[in-house]
Amino acid sequence: MNDPSGVMNKVRRALGRSEPLASAPTPPAIEDKITRLAFADGRLPELFTARATANKMHVQMTEPTALLPRLIALLQTSTARRIAVPESESLDRLGIPAGLREAGFEVARWTEVTLDELYDFDCAVTDVYKAVAETGSLVMRSSPKHGRALSLVPPMHVAIVERGNFLPDLIDLFALLRKEGNSAGITIISGPSKTADIELNLVTGVHGPGDVQVFVLP
Amino acid sequence: MESDPNTQHFLEEAHASKFDFHSVSVKAAGDERLRRAVNNAVVRQDTGRKQILSLMPNPLDLRILAGDIKQHALDHLDFYLDQVRANVERNGGQVHFASTAEEARRMIVEIARSRGLKTCIKSKSMASEEIELAHALEQAGMDVVETDLGEFILQIDKDKPSHIVTPIIHKDLRSIATLFSSYFKTPYNEDPKSLTMQARVYLRDKFRRADLGITGGNFLVADTGQVCVVENEGNARQSVTTPRVLVSLVGIEKIVPREVDLSVMLKLLARSATGQAMTVYTSLFGETRQSGERDGPEEFHLVLLDNGRSEILAGPYRETLRCIRCGACLNACPIYRNIGGHAYGSVYPGPIGALITPLFQGLGNFKDLPQASSLCGACYEACPVRIDIPKHLINLRRDIVTQHLNSATERAIYRVWASGLRSPFIYKCVAMFQKWDLRRRSKKTGWVRKLPFVGAGWTQIRDMPAPAAKTFHQMWANRKSGQ
Repeated sequence: MNDPSGVMNKVRRALGRSEPLASAPTPPAIEDKITRLAFADGRLPELFTARATANKMHVQMTEPTALLPRLIALLQTSTARRIAVPESESLDRLGIPAGLREAGFEVARWTEVTLDELYDFDCAVTDVYKAVAETGSLVMRSSPKHGRALSLVPPMHVAIVERGNFLPDLIDLFALLRKEGNSAGITIISGPSKTADIELNLVTGVHGPGDVQVFVLP
Repeated sequence: MESDPNTQHFLEEAHASKFDFHSVSVKAAGDERLRRAVNNAVVRQDTGRKQILSLMPNPLDLRILAGDIKQHALDHLDFYLDQVRANVERNGGQVHFASTAEEARRMIVEIARSRGLKTCIKSKSMASEEIELAHALEQAGMDVVETDLGEFILQIDKDKPSHIVTPIIHKDLRSIATLFSSYFKTPYNEDPKSLTMQARVYLRDKFRRADLGITGGNFLVADTGQVCVVENEGNARQSVTTPRVLVSLVGIEKIVPREVDLSVMLKLLARSATGQAMTVYTSLFGETRQSGERDGPEEFHLVLLDNGRSEILAGPYRETLRCIRCGACLNACPIYRNIGGHAYGSVYPGPIGALITPLFQGLGNFKDLPQASSLCGACYEACPVRIDIPKHLINLRRDIVTQHLNSATERAIYRVWASGLRSPFIYKCVAMFQKWDLRRRSKKTGWVRKLPFVGAGWTQIRDMPAPAAKTFHQMWANRKSGQ
C-alpha cells in the first residue's frame, strides 16, 4: 500500500474513530421482495429471449441438432469469413469448430492467435459462462481458454446459450460468482456496442461488436 | 486548433479565482441553440427514466435500499477501504491512496514514466476529469486518447464535458460534423453513423497499440476487491483488455460492501441515467492476468482518490457522497435544462454539482451555486440513492450567511429589512408607500413594466401585476370591524 498523506487515517478521524472497528459491520439485507425481478420458477429461456431481443440482440431458439446448419446459414449471409472461437468443450461437443471449417470458414482457436491478430477477425463464436434472463444478458468470464477480447474485438459475436446457463436475476449471478470465485475479468453483455452521444442518435458497433447473435438451446 | 469561443469563455470564467455564476448563467440562458440542444436531450432522458422506473414493482423501496447501502458504506468507510486494499493486494494489484488531485496525478504519471509506457487509452471517468488527468499525462509526453466517443470529441475540440453521463449534450450534429471534417481532413458529412465509424477506425488503431489503460470506477466492491465499470460503447472493456498496465482511478466514496450489492445498484444506475434497464457492458475487474491468460493487464494499480472527500465525510454533508453519478438530477432540473452544464463552472454540474462543487472547492469560491436552484425538489425525486439535495442546498445557503460569505451590502439590506419587519409601524408605512407607488406605475395597463434601482432586475425579464387596492392588513381590519 502506498498512502503518503495518510488518507486512511483521515477517513478514520472523519468518522470519529481513533482505532479500527473491532468487528465487521453488517450491511443492509438484500431482500428478494425488494430487489428480485425474476424467479427461478419462471420460463427462463423465454424471458431471456424477450429481454435480449429488447436489448437489440438477435436471438433464435434452436434444437441442438439444428444448431450447426443454422449457424452456418447465418454466417454465410454475413460477410464473416475469419472466425475465432474459445477452447470450449461445449462448442466441441456441438461440433462447431469442425463444422465451420468444413463449411469453408477459417476457424482459429483463442490459444492459436495473438491479441493483435484477433483485430483482423470478422466474428467470434463463443459459449457463455451464464445468461441472466431478467436483464437479457450474456455473462463472459475470462480464462486462459477464453480471452476477454473474443467477445469484444471482432465486429460480430455469436453466443451459444445452453439450458444450464440460465440464471433468473442479477442477484443469482453475484451470489454464484461469490461462491465460485471471480476470475480475472467478468463482463455482462446486454446488447450490441452502441452510442447515442451525437444528439441522441443511436449508432451501433462503436468499439465492440455491432452485431450480437444468440442461439438458445432450450 | 482553437477551441469553441463559447467554451473558451466558460473556461476562463471557471478558472477565475471567484466563479461568477450570474454572468455565465445569464449568457448561457440567452443562447437559444444551447438551450434547445440541452433541453431536447435531457427531457428525453428524464422521460425515459420515469417510464422504466414505473415498470418496476417497487422502485421506491429499491431506491431506499440503495441509499441505505451507500450510507452504510460511508459510515464504515475506514473498514471497507481497508478491506478493498487487502483484497486488491491479494489479487495481485497495487493500491495507492491519493490525498489531493496533485498527488493522484503525480502517482499515475510516475507509474507510466517508470515503466516506459507510451500510449494511453483512457475511458470516461468523472474522477479523471476532476483531477485533469489526461492533461497531466500529455504533459509528461504520453500519447493519451479519450476513447468514449463523447469524450474523444471533447478532447479533439479542447472542450469540457457539460453533463455527467452524456458529456457532449451541449454540442449539435453540425458542430461535430464541422469538427471531424477539419480534424480528420475529410469532406463534411452529417451522418451520425459515419461520424461514429470515423472515430471507431481511428481509435481501434490506438486500442491495438496501447500499453496503458485508464478507467474510473462506478463501484468498488469491498469484499472482492473488484472495480465495476458500466458503459455502452466497449471502450472501457478495451482499456481492461489490451494494455499491459491498467490504472483505475476511483473516488474513495465509490465503495459498496458486497458483490451482491451490485444487483441493487445496477438495477438503478442505468435506469436513472439513460432509461436503459442495463448498460450494454458491465465489467468487473481488478485481478492481474492469471497464468496462461493471453489478454488482460499484467499490472493493476488502484488509485483511491480523496481530494476533499474525507472532509465532506466528517461534516453534515456526508450523505452527498452517496452519489453514483447517474445524472438523473441534471435531467430533472429546470435550471440545468435552461443553462446547461458549463455554466456551473466545474466538472460536476446540475443540482448535485451545485451541492458538491462548493464542498470540494470552497464555499467562498462558489457561493452562487447553492442559489442555482428553485428548490422545487425534482432532483430529490429523481435521485436513485435519495440524496436530499434541496435540504443540503438550503443548509449551504445558511452556511454562507453564518460564515459571512455574502456581500456587506446584502447583509446591510437584510439588517434594515429585519428591523422593518420587527416594527408594525414601519412595516405599514412601507407597505402603504409601496402600494401607492406600484399602482401609480401600473395605472395605464394594470402591469408594472419598469422599476428603478434594484427593482430593475425584477422587471427586466417580466412584468408584475398591479397590487390590489387594499392591503391584506386593511382587508383584515375591515373584516374585523364588520365592513
